[in-house]
Amino acid sequence: METLKADVANGELKRVYRKQKGSFLRKGLIFAFASGISYGLFSAFLTVGEASGVWNDFWALPIAGTIIGYLLLCAIGSSLNDLISGIWCLVIAAMKGKMRDFLPALKSKPGLMIVVGGLCGGPIASTCYIVGLMMAGGIAAAVTALCTAVGAILSRILFKQKLNARMILGIFICFFAAVVLGGTTLGDVDAKSTIGMCIAFIAAIAWGVEGCIAGYGTIMVDYEIAITIRQLTSGFANLIVLVPVLCIIANATVNMSGVEGSTYLFFVGGALFSTALIWFVISAFFANPAYSLWYKGNSMCGTALGMVCNSMYAFWCPFFMMVLCGWIFGWEGYTLTPVQWLMALVEVFGIWVIAMNPLDVFRKKEA
Amino acid sequence: MKKPLNFAVLKYMTTVEIACVDDVMEALKDEYADWKMFKPAGILEVLMTGEKNGLLVEDHYAYNDKGELMIYYRAHEEGREIINSYIK
Repeated sequence: METLKADVANGELKRVYRKQKGSFLRKGLIFAFASGISYGLFSAFLTVGEASGVWNDFWALPIAGTIIGYLLLCAIGSSLNDLISGIWCLVIAAMKGKMRDFLPALKSKPGLMIVVGGLCGGPIASTCYIVGLMMAGGIAAAVTALCTAVGAILSRILFKQKLNARMILGIFICFFAAVVLGGTTLGDVDAKSTIGMCIAFIAAIAWGVEGCIAGYGTIMVDYEIAITIRQLTSGFANLIVLVPVLCIIANATVNMSGVEGSTYLFFVGGALFSTALIWFVISAFFANPAYSLWYKGNSMCGTALGMVCNSMYAFWCPFFMMVLCGWIFGWEGYTLTPVQWLMALVEVFGIWVIAMNPLDVFRKKEA
Repeated sequence: MKKPLNFAVLKYMTTVEIACVDDVMEALKDEYADWKMFKPAGILEVLMTGEKNGLLVEDHYAYNDKGELMIYYRAHEEGREIINSYIK
């Protein structure tokens, strides 16, 4: 009788234990999925912001037709987005009583790793991503989803993580999808879209590096503090280093007609005091969970599963751009062809194969 | 300047053989009791995240005096080295 009671008690204990573990994993999965949706929303609002108010005047200037001018405008858009996102992060962290962690975390080794990750993912990746978006549209987001593949390879090199035949197969599926995506865009539009996708691939590499370095730091630093560090680092690095350097290069190399006074003040000041800023405030609001929930999801349900869920942004970006830019604003060029949609799906499938064995899903259900 | 709460939790784990949420709360309450994040659910999330990423391992689980589930974690040798190299 005593043994029976003990068995029942043990069974109940096991059930509570499994429930707690399951709830932790579910929470992680929800965070990771929500990060992908936020990513799509932030991309869509950013695209609207960079096509509203004073930005229309910027794009009409001769400088906007040059690569350096394009980069400059996109870097300004990126820095505004990240900096405002950093301010959102500070407000949210303060409301949650986490601000006491900010400076000590920033001065620590994991904090420094997040700063380095922010520099990689911010000035480099965000600028390339935005250039890709402007040149190739939402399909650029599908190309940047290759960051999971890059992350798997880098993890193998830096952290000696496994890279087996299944993962290599997934990488090939991703490359195949990316190649077909390039071909489709080339055939349907022009070479500009293909260049945009190549630039988006640089973003994929930089985000792969960021995922490795900053992701590890976030195991120890609270995710909302981590993202505050990341966004402020990225925003300031863009605004204080990248944008001035691009202004100097632009002044020396391209036709600056229409730009009055200081190039920096003309563009940055113009963007700050434009009605378009409201769109950046909204895009920055969604950029916060796009990154913070990515880190959090990865740390809670494992990098592989977290990244797979997050990489669904390859769907969410074109989806929300189609909804916001195409359906709501009625802008042309925001509808993807069936082949492009199909390849985006193939790419996501490839990423899924890299990150986990699809059969594991069924095995877990059986267990 | 106090360590961030997450750092303090992980660092504490390197000073004991095994510990559960109750142990961590008891050990850190003098320093962190007035922190908004200092709650059992938050501490458990730090421990579970540490376990998910290989810094800690689960030792066993049992009910505490209040009938709540407590999972006991242990920082293994490699985990201790990693935590101590990142958190001074």
